[in-house]
Amino acid sequence: FFTKAPAKSGILGRNNLKKRLRNSGGTVSNRNLCDSAPLLWRVGDLRSVRAQGLVGALLGALPRTPRQNVRLGRPLLLLPEEERLLTERHVTPPHIRCVVVCVQDGGVELQVQQYQEAQQRSYEEQSVLALEDRKSALLRAMTSSPTDESLQRRLVALESSFSFPRSAMAVQLSTARAGLSYCADARDFLRADWPIRAQDEPRRAARYQVFRDLRGRGFYLTSAGKFGGDFLVYPGDPLRFHAHFIAVCVSLDESLSLLDILAVSRLGSNVKKTVLLCSPGTDGRVAYTSLQWSGMV
Amino acid sequence: DRPIIGPGSLPSELFAARSRSHKIPVRGQKDFFPNDSDEQRQRLEQSLNEHWSLISEERVEKLGNLVKATWIPSEQIVELQSPAGKFWQTMGFSAKGKQFLLPEEALYLMECGNVQVFYRDLPLSIQDGYEKFLSSSTVSLQQYQVFGHLKRLGYVVHRFHPSSEPSSYARQLNLPQCRDRAGRQLKRKRSASEEEEKRPESHLTMSPETSSTQTATASSAHKGGGRTWWMTDVLRDRPDQRPASRTSRWDFSSIPFPDLGSQKCLSSCLASPDPSLLPGSLAVGVCDIALWTRKINLREVKMSSKEQKREEDKRRRRWDVNKDREVQQCTNWAEYRKLLARRQGKRKGRPEHLWDREVTPLHDPRQPIPTGELLDKISVIESTHLLEGASRLKGSDDWRICFNVYQPDSVADFKKSNPGKPYSRMCVCSFDGPVPDLRAIKLLSFQSGDIPVVFAVVDHGDISFYTFKDFQLPTDVYP
Repeated sequence: FFTKAPAKSGILGRNNLKKRLRNSGGTVSNRNLCDSAPLLWRVGDLRSVRAQGLVGALLGALPRTPRQNVRLGRPLLLLPEEERLLTERHVTPPHIRCVVVCVQDGGVELQVQQYQEAQQRSYEEQSVLALEDRKSALLRAMTSSPTDESLQRRLVALESSFSFPRSAMAVQLSTARAGLSYCADARDFLRADWPIRAQDEPRRAARYQVFRDLRGRGFYLTSAGKFGGDFLVYPGDPLRFHAHFIAVCVSLDESLSLLDILAVSRLGSNVKKTVLLCSPGTDGRVAYTSLQWSGMV
Repeated sequence: DRPIIGPGSLPSELFAARSRSHKIPVRGQKDFFPNDSDEQRQRLEQSLNEHWSLISEERVEKLGNLVKATWIPSEQIVELQSPAGKFWQTMGFSAKGKQFLLPEEALYLMECGNVQVFYRDLPLSIQDGYEKFLSSSTVSLQQYQVFGHLKRLGYVVHRFHPSSEPSSYARQLNLPQCRDRAGRQLKRKRSASEEEEKRPESHLTMSPETSSTQTATASSAHKGGGRTWWMTDVLRDRPDQRPASRTSRWDFSSIPFPDLGSQKCLSSCLASPDPSLLPGSLAVGVCDIALWTRKINLREVKMSSKEQKREEDKRRRRWDVNKDREVQQCTNWAEYRKLLARRQGKRKGRPEHLWDREVTPLHDPRQPIPTGELLDKISVIESTHLLEGASRLKGSDDWRICFNVYQPDSVADFKKSNPGKPYSRMCVCSFDGPVPDLRAIKLLSFQSGDIPVVFAVVDHGDISFYTFKDFQLPTDVYP
């Protein structure tokens, strides 16, 4: 029910942006900044991101079964490393914001009108479908018991007395925003503070290098906070495979206390995963050290 | 059951969706290692197709099952346009004769397909909801993740307000508590133009809270110096106006009350009290308490005849030291003390090399002492408990409790006006941030009272819950 109303005045028409980006050879990923967090809402975007081997994390309730936490639905939250990788691969500037199209009041009224008309059309169509549904149900009953006269009478009565209440109409609650956003003011676009990442710059750079290297080798990665590491490393798509490694990013010149190594090894062996200490080198390559708990030979 | 893909579904698709299944397919066993087998490839394709089908499915509800609501950005609140459903038992609040939902509650209900929120006559998508309802002045994305997670498990989750938690003293006195969700919500919004946080919590000053809740018709008389004693309820047009919000906080441990009964009160005058403790522009001068001290009965309490008899018996049995000849020979106190010391030494044979030095043994073994006290005497490290010193800590912005959580099985009897004690309180943080230090843990435990504080650590899609429990090392003392 949202038609693509032409932008009357605006900061940047989303269509224009898409066109420009496509022309420059990049593909568009619509990432919206909610709380400055990179969230993907459109299925097409989720698919294209997955096709690049990036998993992300689903945050929302699953429409089919909203009251459980085993399987979640859109939006998809990207790791900072995933967002950075996408930015490096695409032409999309890293700080693209939710494209706000300034629509003048006339535009809003038009959209409301169009919405209401679409709802009315939907209602009328559904009424017709409901009536047909009832009729075919009666006809089926009639064929199975052809002598039942009451069914005949009901069929005749149906045409005249059938009513489809408005409350019975099916309505969609869209997950992603359709078409162009119509937020009238830039001010309406709320931007809250994403908790400022306490990680320092070298740490973030190290994480990214490790992420890029492992992804380049075909592994799939997700975050591993509750495993005491930086990433969980899967040999294939996480939908089908278990993680093999817990990647912990350590810089080459960082000295680790033995107790920390013991702690992380113990954790790894408890969850049956190998701990991988990952250290990016200066030549762009990453050194990997795996920890294996073994006895005295 | 065909999945519905895309935001603009056809009416026929919507109609067909009414009879959709509500089950999710069970995930099979995972493989260990990828080989290039067709079997694996097929299974992966199947899993992915199932995944996309579930992810792309849209929420379709009958219009009659949806509660209609409107987003009010100026108040950061959602107003219901049609009567609330079952969720009303544990969510939302009433004000000005209407029903409202907090933004996080509205967003959760949108995701469940129970509520359709409109803004300027157009329905908001879930995406709109996330972008509009979640902010630093309402609830952040991470906090909403925790909120949603707990709600989906069936818990009742409410926002935590430190000012509405009674102080330990108030709890001791068993003072009634104020449950004013409505006033609190709308109050906050109106003070948006003023300071965000005017409530000193642990930083308890002597002054009563300045009223940050002036109505729109506030005159200049309310501004500046004229401080109001009682917090005026912001909703003046409400018929059932509460007399006063019990949100003033006094630190009774630091307000000295004059003790007229003590013998040390020699002066007949009391200094005038701190003007910040007094209402309005009331000024109190020096107080002459001579009249009052006269009224106070400073006589000794008379013992009953039984008690008197007991005291006499004790006295009789006691040996009269004055009858001791050696004592009579002492001419002054110094000699008497020397006599005592000699007697002590002779009688029990306390080794001089231990007792006649600067550093003496910790305890005289001839003195009876309970084992517990003895253990305390010889302990090097004093044991402490979590809340020790916590009341002196000043609040910080880094760590605060976000939510009260009530158990799912209490839902049937749950009353919003009197929810009772929560099961736990949530503090939301992430693995990116620092681990809570002892100071933070003490502060939050103190704010929380006797309800355990749980740290909900958000790691992108995952939430882990941690709690710190106070623990006392057992002492093997059996009286």
